[in-house]
Amino acid sequence: MKIFIYNIGYFLLEAKRTIRLNPLSNLFSVIGTGLILFLLGMVLAGWSVGDKLIVALKDEAEVSAYFMENTNEKDALKLVNAIKGMEGVMDASYIDETEAKAQMEKMLGNEADILGLFDENPFEAFIEVKINLDYMDQVLSDVAKLDGIDYVRDNRKVLEQMKGISDGLKLFGVLIMAAVGITTLIIISHMIRQGIYNNRDQINTLRLLGAPDGFIGFPFLLAGTFLTLLGGGLAAGLLILLLNEGYSHLSGFIPFIPLPSLEELSDKVSLLILLVSAALGLLGSLFGVSSIGKEE
Amino acid sequence: MIEAKGVSLTYHDGTVALKDVNIEVKPGELVYITGHSGSGKTSLLKLLIGMEYPTSGSLKILGQPIKRGKARKIRKLRKKIGPVFQEFKLIEGRTALENVMMGMRFLGISPRKMKTEAISALTKVGLEHKIRSKVENLSWGESQRVAIARAVARKPELILADEPTGNLDHDNAINILQILNSFRDNNTAVVITTHATHLIENQEDATYIRVNKGEITIEHSSEKIV
Repeated sequence: MKIFIYNIGYFLLEAKRTIRLNPLSNLFSVIGTGLILFLLGMVLAGWSVGDKLIVALKDEAEVSAYFMENTNEKDALKLVNAIKGMEGVMDASYIDETEAKAQMEKMLGNEADILGLFDENPFEAFIEVKINLDYMDQVLSDVAKLDGIDYVRDNRKVLEQMKGISDGLKLFGVLIMAAVGITTLIIISHMIRQGIYNNRDQINTLRLLGAPDGFIGFPFLLAGTFLTLLGGGLAAGLLILLLNEGYSHLSGFIPFIPLPSLEELSDKVSLLILLVSAALGLLGSLFGVSSIGKEE
Repeated sequence: MIEAKGVSLTYHDGTVALKDVNIEVKPGELVYITGHSGSGKTSLLKLLIGMEYPTSGSLKILGQPIKRGKARKIRKLRKKIGPVFQEFKLIEGRTALENVMMGMRFLGISPRKMKTEAISALTKVGLEHKIRSKVENLSWGESQRVAIARAVARKPELILADEPTGNLDHDNAINILQILNSFRDNNTAVVITTHATHLIENQEDATYIRVNKGEITIEHSSEKIV
């Protein structure tokens, strides 16, 4: 530890020398690592958006029961009470035409002006039934059988599709993470081995003078971690640009999608990429530095 | 300090470098290893610094057995040795001072003390005016002296110098030998290989190990016949 503290300045200078010894090769390694980590960042961002979407849709797990014609409000409230008593139903409430329109206006947000095109309120009254997803089939069947209920509309298909996409994205993400991890480790450890090869005379001299492998290898470890972090920084920068650009387009086209906030997503994914790059840089450098011992 | 009993060294290609070597070097001793090129001097020195292992016999340096499988302990042992290599092994792109300090960085010496000791060693070898010079800009003799400063600044118990007079003119060679000899004290032994036997005549209180085709004969200064 004493040796480490006494030599912090030396280690940093040696790491700088190692990087400058082969600047072009190191630059390409940084760009390569950065692009690979950028790919990982995109998957992580997709993952995050998908998760948010699923959670939002699950929160909205509900069915809408529409009345037969000539059902008055009194009968409708009786139906609401009957539905409330069913297993798997968390809540049920009567939504009249005005409230139905208000809900849609809220959902459309800035685009709600479109509803002004209608002369009359196009929405009809219904019962909003919040359910436990596990009981969806049973609740649908029971509600549909009730007298006075014309038809029941559910968002099961959407939920199932979204869940499928989310699961696929997760699997894809895991595969990408594995590929990114292995590729980064190979690039970094190769870069370090190259640095060690370029400094082989110095390393041999240090060995003959009795320097321990840890002392010899530490500057390479610093250099490798720094270069990978640089790649991580590049990836985070590109990702922030991409997210800014993507959000400015997405929010206009698909206002219904409940995206996580841009700042939250950018910060989360950038931080994750930097942490992953630091960890991979350290690990890759350790693999590379392990070759010092083998040369004796 | 050095205890070799029946040591032989045969390289992988079958070349026999040393045969049945028996040596004992005590603290404070000055030892010259002489012999023609290819006689086995450097092989003997490589054994002493743990770059090669005896193929038979027993060798101990500062109490540490030199044998295969002891790499980590031999690396530790090297911290107590001040080697001066034939080709110097200075690190280019660094100054003379940085090179000397490089040999001390892993000895647990504080940076301030390390710098003071390194400057002192460079001053002793007459290079106080070159401490900031890059080693690639130094002459052969100056590089040799930086290598010596790097070896002695570590306060080693054993100084091993391989052909330190090679490629130097007579005066510079004598000067280098005198410098190396000056670092000998009660705790530090100095072992020097050289083929230039004319430079080490009339040396008082020295041991001469003559190597010829891998076999050695030992003489002391009082009985020396070169």
